[in-house]
Amino acid sequence: MRTVGMYLAELLEAYGVEVIFGIPGVHTVELYRGLPNTKIRHVTPRHEQGAGFMADGYARVSGRPGVCFIITGPGMTNIATAMAQAYADSVPMLVISAVNALGQIGSGEGWLHELQDQRQLIKQVSAFSHTVMTPAELPRVMARAFALFAGSRPRPVHIELPLDIITAPADKLPPIRAIVPPSPPAASPSALQEAANWLNIAKAPVLLLGGGAQDAGSFVRAIAEKLDAPTVMSVNGRGLLPPRHPLAVPCSPSMPPTMKLIEGADVILAIGTEFGSTDYDWFEQGGAKFNGKTIRIDIDAQQVVRSRQPDLPIVADASEASSALVPLLSSAKRDGAARAAAARDAVLADLSRTYRACLHLMETVRDALPGAVLVGDSAQPVYAGCICYPSAAPRSWFCSATGYGTLGYALPAAIGAQLAAADRPVVCLIGDGGLQFTIAELASAREAGTPVIVLLWNNNGYGEIKTYMVSRQIHPIGVDIFTPDFQVLAKGFGCEAVTLKKPSDLPGLLREAAKRKTATIIEIEENDYVANYEG
Amino acid sequence: MTNQNCGQAAITLLERYGVDTVFGMPGVHTLEFYRGLVASKIRHIAVRHEQGAGFMADGYARASGRPGVCILISGPGLTNAATPIGQAYSDSIPMLILSSVNATEDLGKGRGRLHEITSQQTVIAPLTAFSRTVYKAEDLPAAYADAYRIFEAGRPRPVHVEVPLDVLAGPAPALADRPPSVLPLMPDGSLVEEACALISKARRPVIVAGGGIIDHGPALTALAEQIGAPVIPTIAAKGAMSNRHPLCVDATLSLPQTQAFLRSADLVIAVGTELGGEADCWIDRLPIEGKLIRIDIDAAALTRDYPPDVAIHADGGATLAALAQSVGSSRSQIGAVDVARLRAEIRNSLPSLQRKHMLILEALREALPRDGIVATDMTQLAYSGSYHFPCEQPRCWFHPVGYGTLGYGLPAAIGAQLAQPHRATVAIVGDGGLLFTVQELATAVELGLPVAVVLWNNNALGQIAEGMKERGITEIGVRPRNPDFIKLAEAFGCRTAQPSSIAAFKAALESAFKADRPTLIEMREDAVFLGG
Repeated sequence: MRTVGMYLAELLEAYGVEVIFGIPGVHTVELYRGLPNTKIRHVTPRHEQGAGFMADGYARVSGRPGVCFIITGPGMTNIATAMAQAYADSVPMLVISAVNALGQIGSGEGWLHELQDQRQLIKQVSAFSHTVMTPAELPRVMARAFALFAGSRPRPVHIELPLDIITAPADKLPPIRAIVPPSPPAASPSALQEAANWLNIAKAPVLLLGGGAQDAGSFVRAIAEKLDAPTVMSVNGRGLLPPRHPLAVPCSPSMPPTMKLIEGADVILAIGTEFGSTDYDWFEQGGAKFNGKTIRIDIDAQQVVRSRQPDLPIVADASEASSALVPLLSSAKRDGAARAAAARDAVLADLSRTYRACLHLMETVRDALPGAVLVGDSAQPVYAGCICYPSAAPRSWFCSATGYGTLGYALPAAIGAQLAAADRPVVCLIGDGGLQFTIAELASAREAGTPVIVLLWNNNGYGEIKTYMVSRQIHPIGVDIFTPDFQVLAKGFGCEAVTLKKPSDLPGLLREAAKRKTATIIEIEENDYVANYEG
Repeated sequence: MTNQNCGQAAITLLERYGVDTVFGMPGVHTLEFYRGLVASKIRHIAVRHEQGAGFMADGYARASGRPGVCILISGPGLTNAATPIGQAYSDSIPMLILSSVNATEDLGKGRGRLHEITSQQTVIAPLTAFSRTVYKAEDLPAAYADAYRIFEAGRPRPVHVEVPLDVLAGPAPALADRPPSVLPLMPDGSLVEEACALISKARRPVIVAGGGIIDHGPALTALAEQIGAPVIPTIAAKGAMSNRHPLCVDATLSLPQTQAFLRSADLVIAVGTELGGEADCWIDRLPIEGKLIRIDIDAAALTRDYPPDVAIHADGGATLAALAQSVGSSRSQIGAVDVARLRAEIRNSLPSLQRKHMLILEALREALPRDGIVATDMTQLAYSGSYHFPCEQPRCWFHPVGYGTLGYGLPAAIGAQLAQPHRATVAIVGDGGLLFTVQELATAVELGLPVAVVLWNNNALGQIAEGMKERGITEIGVRPRNPDFIKLAEAFGCRTAQPSSIAAFKAALESAFKADRPTLIEMREDAVFLGG
């Protein structure tokens, strides 16, 4: 008999799912029955938080949803943080879980893994959450999930199957078939014409690009070049203009020179950015004043008016809208390169030596390992990267310091990224505090054969928070923590570990690590690097 | 005092409630709580992941009977602790979760603020007795008072109090003294009479005692002796009545022999137990065929699933005492002999893997002082222990029963050791479970805690692998490649041992209890001295 659980595995394969992340449990074993008959690879993390972050990293690099199989209750509460990070950063993720059987749900009778209401929790971190009450719903809800990933703001989707539905017969279900993905919404031609009219007569336009524009690279570049507009990229929009492009401003809009650039604009064109405070108002002073007219293009009708209300809101997919806008624009010189350079140079000039060292570290990685994916945690070098790291390309630099701001993201996300990009080096940039959050995933890296390179920025504690405490005149407490011996630890997990002796050794160590089949930790003492790097 | 802000006042108020330890990890959002902690006598335990903070608070609460307290950042700090909060909810453990949340003006606006979530409270509320947002500093004392009323006199469960950033940094409220303690709910006299009437008629009365009576062992034992009723404790009630008492059955509700014993009862007195579905008994329904008296502090739990003949909404201890006072002569025809027969029946039919477990558990019992504490994870060795490990005192055996999470054992043992620094403390963990929260070894080393971590290594998610095999499912993801646990423990600065005999295991435990840091004791399921 083919069960709903077996049908599910085949259905996921039909939708092109290649990898599923999960830890089998009593409640999910029946989801695994059909898996060996598919080509889908299963990767076992050591904690469901790892499953979620791996799925996130996989999705950010591939652009396809990361998929997880998760047990009822603790599995779901364990993955909640990872789903919230993906929610905040608009990353597609499909979390399929079990839930107690129909008739048990919500009873409070003390069933194993029981929650009062699992969906109440999880729908706060999902685009939608659905309970499959009858087998017939499964192909329909799956179609809805993949339609959402293709045609709207991507975010985690949660589908839960009661235990008795997973084992129910699938004989009345339709043949396995993936829906044709809907094309994403195009912009209203009249709104675009209005935008073009404003932009064509602008004297000092500025482009603000966010993660929503990640796949619109060639079009947004054409817009920038035709308008001769400096282009500010948020963390998730970095790389849309390459590092040496004269119009590129790969700098945080929270930095005063970037704010000045934006404040000097007479027309602002913002594409796929939510104006979140972790990009636009890190110092919580209110951020840049938008003195010019603002045109906002966003796929999410609510987001297009959130935080900053535009003069012209356009609800559309970034690629669709950008490609249609290009031919409406006339080319003109607007001193863009000079305006961009002024902002860029001033941001760099204001950096502390520590942040310069951090940036040097990231650029060393980029230049030593062409094509590398750089995955950041919440750590000092990552904050420097958020300020002004010029990523080589989109989907090549991302981190958890934006949005939800979690620790422990980078290692599992790097493993997921490596699974999506087997032929590219993947480098994880993480602090000693963050690495301890999800250190057990080194075992997963070893098992999955993902040779991620972990750049461990060791300042023996929660350095960033310590600085904050001192700056607020709070005596540091709970931040100078005992740190394990990461060299021995890595070897215990079957990984390689080395200590960086001097900054100039780094390119060589990176290239050696990139040749290995196992993960490598390169441990860097913050003080040594800051004191000795030459840049 | 007038110069305090609300964050500092929140700490002062904790002191007034007698809190001596808080678990957390400072973050940008919680700094104002930490401003208060610096000047306070409360000890702050810095963890390596907020999940550890939650489980430690749970272990602290189970070991001390007082609420475990966490201070967590908005968003990820709270979602990281969601699983331990869920565990504490399902096992009725008192826990106070203080957290920040984004500023009042930002709540629910989807502005992309740091640590923002659509509604933090909606996520956490289903895991708590209640979740309260302190919109005005003046609301803070009432939130604490309400929480402690539940801890003292209600069904203890986690309470979440969140303070928006602007309120947290704003002026402190006026702080009154802690309100007087609330007396437990007393049973209604006429219901006690009804219950006594049933008891006096019963020939085969059996008491099922749950976690609700953990501190009422003497009242339970007295009643059981008086009416001649065997007692079946749930796992959460282990030790309330000494396992050595001739009327005490092991916590074996999940075994068919004990279920048959229960079926033969003509009266079941269920006290302080939800008669939990599969979490305690692994079957859909316990065979309760005679009369049923239910006693619970939680009115909703009184009628759930098993409709009672008499339902007493009151404190378990007070009700047991009232019953003992009012009940007349007993006509019970069962007693110690039947319990002894049931025990022997169970012991003689143990499968071979569990016999192996018993070798280790018996050695542990011998090495561990009577008041020693064992915090266990979801692992087969712990399941056997939950049934058969004898406890003579309450609050000595912790298991994540209802919610059933991996990663509980180690941090719960740390929390227990902090609550009871002079009592020997053991964590029993599997290889899969240990990796869930292994980083807390660093916390234990930092604190110099002599926790003995007994690692039951079967190189697999053993229970799940068996489940797959039974159901004819190809094994996937249950034979993970394990790290070298000894190296791992050494990297964290732990002592280690790999005993090659039962005697060596006992010696390793005994020296672990005297050490100045934790010891990882690795026991392999396939060890020769356990029969291979």
